[in-house]
Amino acid sequence: MKITIFNGNPDGGNDVFDNYLKRLSDALELREHTVTTLTLREMDIRYCIGCFDCWLKTPGECIVADASQDVCRQFIASDLVLFASPLIMGFTSALLKKAHDKLVPLIHPYIGIYHNECHHMPRYEKYPLTGLLLEKGRDSDEEDIEITSEIYRRDALNVHLHFASPG
Amino acid sequence: MKLTVFNGSPRGQHSNTRMLLEHFLDGFMTSKDNTYELAYLNHLKSRDKFVTMFGEAECVLLAFPLYTDAMPAMVKTFIESLEPLCGREGNPAIGFIVQSGFPEAIHSRALERYLEKLARRLGCRYIGTVIKGGVEGIRTMPSMMTRGLFKSLYLLGRKFGETGSFDRQIVLNLGKPERLTGLRLLSFRLIGRYLSRSKYWDRKLKENKAFDKRFARPYTDKAKS
Repeated sequence: MKITIFNGNPDGGNDVFDNYLKRLSDALELREHTVTTLTLREMDIRYCIGCFDCWLKTPGECIVADASQDVCRQFIASDLVLFASPLIMGFTSALLKKAHDKLVPLIHPYIGIYHNECHHMPRYEKYPLTGLLLEKGRDSDEEDIEITSEIYRRDALNVHLHFASPG
Repeated sequence: MKLTVFNGSPRGQHSNTRMLLEHFLDGFMTSKDNTYELAYLNHLKSRDKFVTMFGEAECVLLAFPLYTDAMPAMVKTFIESLEPLCGREGNPAIGFIVQSGFPEAIHSRALERYLEKLARRLGCRYIGTVIKGGVEGIRTMPSMMTRGLFKSLYLLGRKFGETGSFDRQIVLNLGKPERLTGLRLLSFRLIGRYLSRSKYWDRKLKENKAFDKRFARPYTDKAKS
């Protein structure tokens, strides 16, 4: 399986988190999986500015030639994407959210009815399974994990992903 | 009352969020002695100033569009910058407006839970969250189609200016429909796709001479070639 880990740890000094991901990656590779870790803090990813040019001018691609294009390419080529982040103020990091916002080119602006709700139509035939890996912060509690999981579950519906809840 | 307003739309002054806020603030300002200051969170160089504004505020309104089922990354950056203020005595009361392009409010409910928890985390009195769907495109809609929405925002702002609270009935009405049901669901199934394609997105794609590429899959097409 081709696995991509989105490392949303904004703090290069937090080596506990990065080391955990390294051990996880090593363990998965021992099981014959191919693992790529995107260390987002080292990538030049600009904020999504809501211009919709990725839908309306250069369909399927952000008009800004930043590293989000590499992120999108890697995402769509994966069988499993793991969104990994410390919980900061009760949610995944702004760094991870910045990369997440820039996945929008991978879906259509067109809306269809799925699960009796309006959702964006898929642009690609196949999307990866996604999962969430969270590190609790000093002030984190079970409610934060539940809310964050619920938001990611909702997003998976929109992007036609299959979301595996944290166990 | 002095209100500190943060517009969290990445589109800033050209946003649908701005249009909603304008009508809310018009209503808010009908109460004597009410004042407000307004900041755009897409002015990234002003981050320190935003924290100071929040720290000195009496009452805060944070408004933004739903991005990938949550807050835009710029708004999350702002929220993270408030971490040192968590639990501080004298934090302002806080309310939220979340708008989205989807017609149903259900898309924003998980985020609403987050925002309520955020107010608790900061130690702010939680005023509430206004959820309004179907907002994408209001900038180009004829005025007859937005009149009711803007009037509701105006009334919401006016009552907020008088009481410091969101009017429950107006919030409830703005949040409709919660889900699509019955005839509405059926009509979306039958004509929604056709309408959304031909009337809005396709027109813009044609204007940009990108219509022929609308189904492009650049990341798999390039990989194959």
